[in-house]
Amino acid sequence: MDFKLIPSTCSYCGTGCGVLFQVMDGRLVDTLPMKTHPVNEGKLCIKGWNLHEHVVSDKRLTSPMLKKNGQLQEASWDDAIQTTAEKLKAIIEAHGPDSVGVLASAKITNEENYLVQKFARAVIGTNNVDHCARL
Amino acid sequence: MTIKRVTFLQELLAFMGLEGRLHLDWISSAEAQKFVQVVTSFTNKIQSLGPSPLSGDFDMSAIVSSCEAVQDAASVEGG
Amino acid sequence: MQEQVREWLEQGKVDIFLGYKKIQGHPLPHCFTRDNLDESDDLVVGNARYSLEKMATKIAAEHKELKIGLLVRDCNQRALNVLYVWNQLRPDNIETISVNCCPSKLKEHGDCSYLEPEKAAPLKMMIGIDNNMDVKAAEEFGQEDRYKRWMYEFQKCLKCYGCRDICPVCFCKECSLEHTDLIATGSIPPEVPIFHLVRAVHMGGRCIDCGLCEDACPVDISLRLLYRKVNDIVSDVFDYKTGTSADQSPFNMLGEEVTLKPKPI
Repeated sequence: MDFKLIPSTCSYCGTGCGVLFQVMDGRLVDTLPMKTHPVNEGKLCIKGWNLHEHVVSDKRLTSPMLKKNGQLQEASWDDAIQTTAEKLKAIIEAHGPDSVGVLASAKITNEENYLVQKFARAVIGTNNVDHCARL
Repeated sequence: MTIKRVTFLQELLAFMGLEGRLHLDWISSAEAQKFVQVVTSFTNKIQSLGPSPLSGDFDMSAIVSSCEAVQDAASVEGG
Repeated sequence: MQEQVREWLEQGKVDIFLGYKKIQGHPLPHCFTRDNLDESDDLVVGNARYSLEKMATKIAAEHKELKIGLLVRDCNQRALNVLYVWNQLRPDNIETISVNCCPSKLKEHGDCSYLEPEKAAPLKMMIGIDNNMDVKAAEEFGQEDRYKRWMYEFQKCLKCYGCRDICPVCFCKECSLEHTDLIATGSIPPEVPIFHLVRAVHMGGRCIDCGLCEDACPVDISLRLLYRKVNDIVSDVFDYKTGTSADQSPFNMLGEEVTLKPKPI
């Protein structure tokens, strides 16, 4: 019988509340707030309380998916990236770079967010960059 | 058992400020007069209490401004 | 205390011990086992309170024969008593080590986050309920005032279910608060005051006044005061002291014993 309590940070919004995961026999079973964490001081919103369900859900994707013949089918990373690049290029050629918008995220690191805006400005050539927290 | 649960609920509602609107009685179908008496007196009691504060829309700002303490604070000169 | 835990694990008096350990500066609940005996030197009490008995209930549900040791404060002990009465834990499988807690001047040393309760903000005192007041003081407001103050508190609710998720004596597999026929979905605040009154009624005969619900409430609703009143009613009307009485609660599903003799047919 194995029971561990693992401190972590909630992955939903940009606040970053401290959570404690309860892991029983290798399975994530419950989420508790961390009482001494300076951000949330022992309180969580409903998303934070149910974080464990999100982590162990059967509905999580395990590989990239591409729409073929109107249905989503599993694809390899190379195929997915290639298709996305081709389609983006086609849209930019047809409607100009400002027809594309890029949304950064609170769930990725600052360095990755920097790459996102660099991608938007230098690669695509548009200023349409925003962040999920502003929506 | 029922008396216990209903008394409990009456006290809880009273604590919250909704007292006097719950009544429990046992009336056999043969006691028509008692039924009339109980229902009439309870109806009169409810009517005298007025409409329940839970009916209608819940307007928080009206409640806040009508609260005595807030009115006191707002009426202080220069406050 | 650390030696006691080590001894218990070695001798097999308990299979696991739930206590606290400092991880990255935070006192967090930790499961001490026989395989990592040296960890028992790291056992601390800390001043943060978690519901160790709720974790024990979860473990006991999957591993019914496991012997579990717990670090208990007075509130945890009362919770354990209630869980025994409601058949969620077997007293034979639980061993406890008690620690000083109660915020009283008579005890030299207390380890409890309630030693210095937070003072309520001025607006909350004006139009809401001060979390630190006692039941008698809360009953001194006039009827209309009482209604408005409690409605102010309840309409802040975000429906996070934190109060229910963290409560050590809440163990129902199907919670009425999640039943779509009873509580309408899709609105915040959730049907004031029904949501809170339903929860308050369910706490009758179960709440042991640990205050974890109030700690977990993100909008600071005076839950502890409300459930204290509920338990006052239970102790006055039913003469039942939750947490210390060994009898089944007056609200148990099976009702009372029938005292009338059946009439001859």
